[in-house]
Amino acid sequence: MSSAVTTPGKSVGKSNYTIPVGPLHVALEEPMYFRIDVSGETVNAVEINAGHVHRGIEYLATKRSLNQNIVLTERICSLCSNSHPEAFAMAAETIAGLTVPERGQYLRVIAGEVKRLASNLFNVAILTHLVGYESMFMHIMQVRETAQDIKEGVFGNRMDLGAMCIGGVRYDLDEETIGILTAGLDKIEPEVAEIVKTFKTNGSILRRTKEIGVLAKEDAIACGVVGPVARGSGVDYDVRREAPYHVYDRMPLEVRTFDDGDVWSRAMIRLHEAQNAIAIIRSCLKELPGGAVNLGTKLDIPPGHAVAKAEAPRGELIYYLKTNDTEQPERLKWRVPTFMNWDALGLMLRNAKVADIAIIVNSIDPCISCTER
Amino acid sequence: MTRFPEDLEARLRAAAPAGIDFSAATDSHGVTSAWVALADKDELKAVGEVMARLGARLSLITGSQTPPPPEVEDEEEEEAEEGETAEAAEKPVPMTFGGTPMDGTAYEITYSFDLVGDTVTVIAYAPQGGSVESLTSLFRTADWPEREIMETYNLRIENHPDPRRLFLDKSIEPAVMERLIPFSTLTNASSTTALWEKVMESAKAKEASES
Repeated sequence: MSSAVTTPGKSVGKSNYTIPVGPLHVALEEPMYFRIDVSGETVNAVEINAGHVHRGIEYLATKRSLNQNIVLTERICSLCSNSHPEAFAMAAETIAGLTVPERGQYLRVIAGEVKRLASNLFNVAILTHLVGYESMFMHIMQVRETAQDIKEGVFGNRMDLGAMCIGGVRYDLDEETIGILTAGLDKIEPEVAEIVKTFKTNGSILRRTKEIGVLAKEDAIACGVVGPVARGSGVDYDVRREAPYHVYDRMPLEVRTFDDGDVWSRAMIRLHEAQNAIAIIRSCLKELPGGAVNLGTKLDIPPGHAVAKAEAPRGELIYYLKTNDTEQPERLKWRVPTFMNWDALGLMLRNAKVADIAIIVNSIDPCISCTER
Repeated sequence: MTRFPEDLEARLRAAAPAGIDFSAATDSHGVTSAWVALADKDELKAVGEVMARLGARLSLITGSQTPPPPEVEDEEEEEAEEGETAEAAEKPVPMTFGGTPMDGTAYEITYSFDLVGDTVTVIAYAPQGGSVESLTSLFRTADWPEREIMETYNLRIENHPDPRRLFLDKSIEPAVMERLIPFSTLTNASSTTALWEKVMESAKAKEASES
């Protein structure tokens, strides 16, 4: 558009098109519709049309009791399923002034970090698939499968752990399950170190991810992004450190940031957090105290309101709970980490190549059922 | 140890001369959560400006309706509505701080701000069919949540830059959170009448060809 000879409304050499991506698309696991205006190979503007998997869960939550909502909130999202009942329970505990027994707090951290490990591996696996490095995709999925085995062996489920309850957790570790957990981590740890090495050196990955889908730090702050997307753009914020909960203040938590804000930085943050999750789980197992894992089932949650935050695999998850004299919450509202990422995605896709659209969309680790509820 | 500026309450009071109800509590980890109820919803923007100057991040906006106070004699109440309105009006309705009647139709809008891990939640009250000022010009993150409130409640957000529907299709009646929606309807979102329309059409065509 800078050239003086360009006639308005007429393109010179290039063609302007509007291409639809989604709602159902090979690169998307869930439905979202992008209307992308391109000029030749370059993206000009993106319009996002949401609402394909809106299920009215917030409405439904007000018709169910607080305990039933533990089950309901776990089903909002599959990959951060554990973080939803976790933050919800934390809000209820704040209202009632309950303190979760120490052992329960450690077990909450373990459940959360196992989910983070599996979720982050899943996202980088999809990235290698989109890059076209299929053997690497198969390999990372196989490593992640070990994390799935841990979940199945320890919690009994591959996705929804069913670990949380108001006042603590619903599972306990014994010698056998600790054995499954440590054996799994021993297997995954060297593999993740190898994956990190590959991400640092492999030309196919570097060429498709370095300086692609850049989100500048000022834009990251303006959009209010959280989690690996924020940390990949140099925003040094992690709920586990800024607003510690459970026993995270005693954990060997490492919050890493990158300044480049590209797809590669976000992937490296996720890989590092997968490694850090292993260190945190090991530390929990080493320090795990005895005692009760929850406060029992007869808990009274008085009328009140509270806001609770937790660091889900995708970043800050925040819950608002208002209770009254009834068993049902008067209002239960949550905002998921992906919610702000859609706005940031518009900035990441600006001037991107059409071939990179799927890679950039995947780099926000999108969760659409989470966003729309 | 709170990370709020020491004069946070004073700054908020200066921005909202009609008055605020301020409370704060710090948990065992040293994380503070403050609640700020506004007497006058029209001072929301000024309070938002204070938070923006502090570098806060607007992380969550919640719209809600407090249910009406429990009615002791339900049946008689309904009859009374027809003729004896004066008597019904005499019943005291609980008021919020600032005097918005919480009759079951008023809105409570909460804005949760993050200040390096600590939370400040500002509460504004608006009557049924009322409006609040948009904060999107101050916080980009207010854009989608405000659009969501507009499609789920009968509440207007003034001066929103892009007040289109967000998740719900235009064909869906507004204020979904204010209506009773049967569970079967709620969960039946994916089914359509396309099949029955086809059946009816072919039946009509058959009838027409026979006559």
